[in-house]
Amino acid sequence: MNFPETLWALTGSPWALRPDTLLGVTLLLIAAALLGELVWRALRWPRMVGYVGVGTLLALLGTGADPGEPALRLVIDVALALLLFETGARLNLRWLLANPWLLATGVAESLLAAVAVFATARALGLDGQSAAVLALIAMSVSPAVVLRVVGECGAAGQVTERLLALTALNTLLAVLAIQALSAGWLLSDPETWLAALPVVTLALLGSLLLGVALGAVVAWIARRLDLRDENAVLMLLGFVLLAIVVAKTLHLSTLLVPLLAGLWLRNRSDRPWVWPRHFGSAGGVLVLVLFVAVGSASSPLDHPQALAIATALIAARWAAKGLAVFALARPSGLSWRQAASLSACLLPMSATAWVLAIDFAATHPAAAPTLLPVLLTMLALVELVGPLLLLYALRYAGELDPPTQATQAPAPLPPKGSS
Amino acid sequence: MSLGEFSRSKAFTLGVELELQIVNRHDYDLAPGAADLLRLVARHKTAADVKPEITSSMIELSTGVCERHPEVVEQLLEVRDMLVVCAEQQNLRLCGGGTHAFQDWSKRRIYDTPRFHHVSQLYGYLSKQFTVFGQHVHIGCPSPDQALWLLHAISRFVPHVIALSASSPYVQGSDTGFQSARLNSVFAFPMSGRAPFVLSWDAFSAYFEKMTRTGVVESMKDFYWDIRPKPEFGTIEVRVMDTPLGVEQAAAIAAYLQCVARWLLLERPFEPQEDDYLAYTYNRFQACRFGLDGVVVDPRTAERESLRRLIAQTLRDVELHAIELHAEGGLALIRAQLASGHGTDANWLRAVHAREQYLPELVRRQCLRFEGRDG
Repeated sequence: MNFPETLWALTGSPWALRPDTLLGVTLLLIAAALLGELVWRALRWPRMVGYVGVGTLLALLGTGADPGEPALRLVIDVALALLLFETGARLNLRWLLANPWLLATGVAESLLAAVAVFATARALGLDGQSAAVLALIAMSVSPAVVLRVVGECGAAGQVTERLLALTALNTLLAVLAIQALSAGWLLSDPETWLAALPVVTLALLGSLLLGVALGAVVAWIARRLDLRDENAVLMLLGFVLLAIVVAKTLHLSTLLVPLLAGLWLRNRSDRPWVWPRHFGSAGGVLVLVLFVAVGSASSPLDHPQALAIATALIAARWAAKGLAVFALARPSGLSWRQAASLSACLLPMSATAWVLAIDFAATHPAAAPTLLPVLLTMLALVELVGPLLLLYALRYAGELDPPTQATQAPAPLPPKGSS
Repeated sequence: MSLGEFSRSKAFTLGVELELQIVNRHDYDLAPGAADLLRLVARHKTAADVKPEITSSMIELSTGVCERHPEVVEQLLEVRDMLVVCAEQQNLRLCGGGTHAFQDWSKRRIYDTPRFHHVSQLYGYLSKQFTVFGQHVHIGCPSPDQALWLLHAISRFVPHVIALSASSPYVQGSDTGFQSARLNSVFAFPMSGRAPFVLSWDAFSAYFEKMTRTGVVESMKDFYWDIRPKPEFGTIEVRVMDTPLGVEQAAAIAAYLQCVARWLLLERPFEPQEDDYLAYTYNRFQACRFGLDGVVVDPRTAERESLRRLIAQTLRDVELHAIELHAEGGLALIRAQLASGHGTDANWLRAVHAREQYLPELVRRQCLRFEGRDG
């Protein structure tokens, strides 16, 4: 290989998120980390806003990520798996039993959001099938955004706890519902249903089994090794990667497997589990790439014809989720202020919705032309607003770390008894 | 603000206050859940009362005025069970123990009331480091002079109850070597320590007047003494105990103090004097550091004796009073504690940690102990 050729390989189409443009990818990583640090220092915004911001710039330049690229897709799947695993591990089923109003909130906000999105989509002229897919995807609140903002800002409190639980619950419902819908469509075709039946059943059973197996392995490791130790965490990362590779090979759900694994780990025993966020720095890099990739998936300008309908669907979804939270706030033990905060927090949609949509479109190519433009525009509209709204809503609920306190001495007590 | 009248209360009535830790169910760190918990508590009615404390990861429960140990146990169990249910609905958990094993003091939030904000501003990091959890016992006194006499006479038993309640070996993630490290946080406050040696209410009021004139204190609340008179209740309040891991132990310690108070006031086995305080801080240190194995000095005879033996002796001294007060159940628990291998809650915590090597799991076991599910 001669020199000019090498130079061309390094710089050719440098901004695409492809492995053959190593220089481009490297520069992107640096740019995302830099912008993340900048918004953090200047504005105290979560760094992920910077990552998504770089992705948005890419989208505007028209060089967004192509999820069809296998290497990028693997990174997305693994990063998302780490986040979904952590999300699953925050859903304590005993809590839902102890506070049935919370369970009711979770089911109601998911169903209402689906109904509202479906009705709005139909009213605006979308076909029933696309409207149904959009409605089910819209149930899920982005676990990636929620976990990342909560983790970066050190949020703690009732709204944070409920947000994590609701996110895990509505994501689980959305993934299962989409699988059911997809299976239903395959089975309703009289030509293929007999062939599809075992495939569909095995896919669901396999996802369940693999999820439980991953959860059991993590529990087994965690009992014997200290999860705060770097080497133990790398081993965990390896097992998550393995589970994803197996899931992809067997055509199982790469979303369901890690979510169920986390859920199984949390609820199998009461023992606390603590591991570094995103499984340490290795996972952190993957998550960064995930946010850049999702941000670059689409810009609001890519599909101008879908802009109005996407905006309407987001509004309907948000209003429905807020309505459910407010209606059940008092019996479930929330103050009105907390209910307002929690409602606002349910806006984000991100990587999970994206993956659900592109996978659905891959299985049902006929649905792609209407489904993808609307969904990608929805994601593009909330990708920067969502995390910021989350940040300010959690601050409104008083759940962020207190700002560093003023150190001046308090006024001295007034003298007493001087008469 | 003047000190006011000393209310009269029935002799040897009891009131118990317990400061409890609120933790999350994920990693068992302290959780700012006081307001969430109190919102649900308001829907229940119990004999005991539940109130917020200075940091939002702490609540305080207090019994009503009780005459007997069984009544204290009954009220504490009732409010405990109610709190456990409320906490579960908010995905929180409660536990005893004088300190949280691994919380980071810089992360604590101040509960939102003007007084708590003032205290926080005045004491700075001390008020957050003060995220420690104690048991207070009120003992009713029919007259203020009797209250002051009892306050100074019972100060000799302060090391006993420190040792019996010790449950704070871990602070900020490390083993301090102490059985009760919590009191080290309390001693950092300028107004901590012991009350001045005066035995009449008039002399005490004069002292209080002089102190308020300096502007250093505003009310009795600004004194963080080990034992202080509480004129509004007509009680003396013993404040040196860690919150024990179980409410039964808290009730037993209250019963022990009640029996000792009755024995002291009715039999007057000795007269308190200023020189009793010569070895006071040393003896208190021994109890904090070594618990029941601490060796304390009698300032009058210069004799040394282990707390384990002194408590056993005291149990014999107050036997008749225990029968009179129906406190045998509580004292039996203390007798069993002296005889057992573990002895203190602090030793139990160390044993669990030696096995688990994992502080979040240790806090979870503490929660189980508080809930009465063994652990």
